[in-house]
Amino acid sequence: MPDNQGLSHLSDHFLIVAVVLYSLAVVAFAADFAFGRRSPVVTRAKAEMPDRVRAGITAGAAGAAEGSTAESGATEGGAAGSGDTESRAAGNRAAGEGGPGSQSRAPVSHLVRIALTLTTAGLALHIAGVITRGLAVHRVPWGDMYEFVISVSCVAVLFFVGLMIKYRPYYLGLFFMAPIVIILGLAQTVIYTPAGPLVPALNSYWLAIHVTAMTLASGTFMVGAVLAIVYLFAERHTRRVAAGLSTRYGEVFRLLPSAQRLDQIAYRTVVFAFPIWTFGIMAGAIWADQAWGRYWGWDPTETWAFITWVVYACFLHARVTAGWRGRRAAYIQLVGFACLLFNLLGVSLFITGLHSYAGLS
Amino acid sequence: MTGLRVPPGQPNGAPAQDGAQAGADGRTDETAAPGAPSRPAGQPGSFGLLGWARWGWRQLTSMRTALVLLFLLAVASVPGSLLPQQGIDPSAVQQYYLSHPALAPWLARLSLFNVFAAPWFAAIYLLLFLSLAGCVIPRSVRLARSARTPPPPAPRNLARLPQSARHESTLDPAAALDAAAGVLRRRKFRLRTGDGWVSAEKGYRRELGNLVFHLALLALLCSVALGGLFGYKANRLLVTGTSFANTVTALDEFHPGRLVSSSDLQPFSMTLNRFTASYVTSGPSRGQPLSFNAYVSYTAQPGGAVRHDNLRVNHPINVDGVRVFIIGHGYAPVFRVTDGTGKVVFDQPVPFIAVNTSGLTSQGVVKVPDAHPDQLGFAGVFLPTAVDVGGVLESEFPAPLNPRVSMISYRGNLGMDSGPPQSVYTLNTAGLTQLPVAPRPLAIGQSIKLPGGAGTLTFTGYRQWISLAITYDPGQLPALIAGLAALAGLLLSFFVRRRRVFVRAYPGPDGRTVVDVGGLARSDPAGGFGEEFTGLARVLETASRGPATETPSLTTTPGGKSD
Repeated sequence: MPDNQGLSHLSDHFLIVAVVLYSLAVVAFAADFAFGRRSPVVTRAKAEMPDRVRAGITAGAAGAAEGSTAESGATEGGAAGSGDTESRAAGNRAAGEGGPGSQSRAPVSHLVRIALTLTTAGLALHIAGVITRGLAVHRVPWGDMYEFVISVSCVAVLFFVGLMIKYRPYYLGLFFMAPIVIILGLAQTVIYTPAGPLVPALNSYWLAIHVTAMTLASGTFMVGAVLAIVYLFAERHTRRVAAGLSTRYGEVFRLLPSAQRLDQIAYRTVVFAFPIWTFGIMAGAIWADQAWGRYWGWDPTETWAFITWVVYACFLHARVTAGWRGRRAAYIQLVGFACLLFNLLGVSLFITGLHSYAGLS
Repeated sequence: MTGLRVPPGQPNGAPAQDGAQAGADGRTDETAAPGAPSRPAGQPGSFGLLGWARWGWRQLTSMRTALVLLFLLAVASVPGSLLPQQGIDPSAVQQYYLSHPALAPWLARLSLFNVFAAPWFAAIYLLLFLSLAGCVIPRSVRLARSARTPPPPAPRNLARLPQSARHESTLDPAAALDAAAGVLRRRKFRLRTGDGWVSAEKGYRRELGNLVFHLALLALLCSVALGGLFGYKANRLLVTGTSFANTVTALDEFHPGRLVSSSDLQPFSMTLNRFTASYVTSGPSRGQPLSFNAYVSYTAQPGGAVRHDNLRVNHPINVDGVRVFIIGHGYAPVFRVTDGTGKVVFDQPVPFIAVNTSGLTSQGVVKVPDAHPDQLGFAGVFLPTAVDVGGVLESEFPAPLNPRVSMISYRGNLGMDSGPPQSVYTLNTAGLTQLPVAPRPLAIGQSIKLPGGAGTLTFTGYRQWISLAITYDPGQLPALIAGLAALAGLLLSFFVRRRRVFVRAYPGPDGRTVVDVGGLARSDPAGGFGEEFTGLARVLETASRGPATETPSLTTTPGGKSD
């Protein structure tokens, strides 16, 4: 099984360009936050410029742009001054109720559209990078830690773009993409592993089943964790406003979805990811039974997957327990994600176990 | 249970209210619980032991307790992954004792080297499962009962419900209600009709899913216990060309379940005919293993038919429910030892254990208790592909391209006749003296002549060995079924929402029929009922325009998806 080093290099190049595009997207998102206090009228005028045709590189970008035009139209009615706040509040209320087409009504700035286009283009290259890596090694591209990290982050960006299309919380972009850039940057530098064949233990079709599930779930949990962090800030802001206290960054939170909405989206991501994680653990157990003769052996990685599962189960239960909803539940979710991260980084690198496939020495 | 709060002592042990406050798990959370009102101190006798027991049971089965226990379970698992565990890697535990002599005994006293079998760990999960059972079983009873109960009558004012809509109909009230009932029935709602109203409820499968999930977890625990009682695990090292039978004495390690006796072992025997390993030969991952193939023959019982198989990683052999796995491999150099009297006292392969994976440099000892006049012992390394790196011999590849052994020789008393049992992989040098032999790596066929006429050691060749794990777990299939059931229950409880829809129709002031629709999701933490309701209200409105338009509009109305 010869490995195609040419394809593997191509994959590296794709991913480096993807990181560059993502970084530019982060800069654009950040610039929008810093300088994007434009009036909605100007935004609309810009949004209707024909640059949609130029910028629409991929289907995802086109979808986002289409949405943005519709949004700008919707804000037309009560655009000026305080009317904007009002329509936004109404939008949030409607979004909380979840009626169709009741997404938040914030106008989309030029910078955000650039950022979204860059993100989508970066995602296309990211996917291409993952696929070429898989082609280079003739298998699913998650056989070592580097491959796992690039795949997980790919799922996270994919999920993020999906959220953008479905719920349009454009101003969350900075919070999503900044960690992605850091993770991918680390993947390229610290944990980079050249393409290579699998050790015999990994040579099983269960690799495709078990690790795919874990990759999907991890990427989605990552999105949920970012939402939880933003939620915690937004919730604090909401409380301070309700208490009549002054808050900094009020402008920022006005643009973000409401705390309640963030909480709900975060919950939905966990509800989506938790069964996949459960399935992934089960598939791993079946594989362990095939490979090592026991379906559960408290190997460190298994233990931490279990801990992660238990903590997310806590989150799901806390969400329906009085006194634990809201902030506490969000903290539990973050603890769950911290466990997941520790499993991915800490256990793989520092604890020797049967899952020591990181490919790092 | 240090009960500082006074138990409520409810005379009937009132069941958890089946209201909207009950969580997805149906446990009474703190808003739904009566909150243990403190009784006046003057009536301590009004609740006896039974009251306390009831109070304790309520506490144990409350959602908060379950949450805390879940947390504890997560926290308690942490040391099991950070400290070496007896059940996983006993040698790492011994290593820990050596490097932390003061701390280790204390950790051992707290069962921290055996966390997952520790009493306190068991206490946590047993309490958790007790709490679970105490919640789930009464709930199953209630579900069975409620499955036969129709939904409650429609409230008087539907506009007060979380979701509501109003439209006018050209039909008279009774016909409008009929039309609405038809729509709801087709959507598999359970209906109850009354004077001027229709109540509909749907989503009982959510409850069912919830119950199945939690009961499946209980079943999973029982499956694990089943494996722990009736299953066994064993290890056996097998050198090429040798055989073993699955009996307790022939196994290197044997971990029987509590109810397993040695006569319960499946009586198969197995021979390793040949073993091959292949490795990456070039590039950055040179030396990484690619495949292991162990060609074995076995019989299920003595005198049975001999079967041949290729045992590989991820491809265990199944003999009558017992499975045999290859979990390791290594080299067994073959030594011939002639003692001081000129007699060949030793001629066999000696399994050496790999100390590094990249070059499979392996360590081992040779013990020759039958040598005369003195017993002989040798300790050293086997290098599959020996290369000279600055005067030090190292193995740079795991395949035997240039095999060498390098041995240190001892004579004296091996100490095998007295004292505690020794490991075959270490030499007790207390009664031995090292012989002054110039260190020289031996190629195949070369010998060391020991000084003082003590004898000769000849390296005559090598064989390979594999280590086998032999496991029998009758809980395996039940565990799989329980796991699948848990997953199915989880999906049902996540993606089905339980909701009620009410319709009231009455004549309006202008004579036209007014139709009010109200909706209530009884468990919808993820949201989304609003969308469903909006779609449903639209369909109901279309249906109330009369039967002529009903059928086509039903099929074309978007957003009215039902599960």
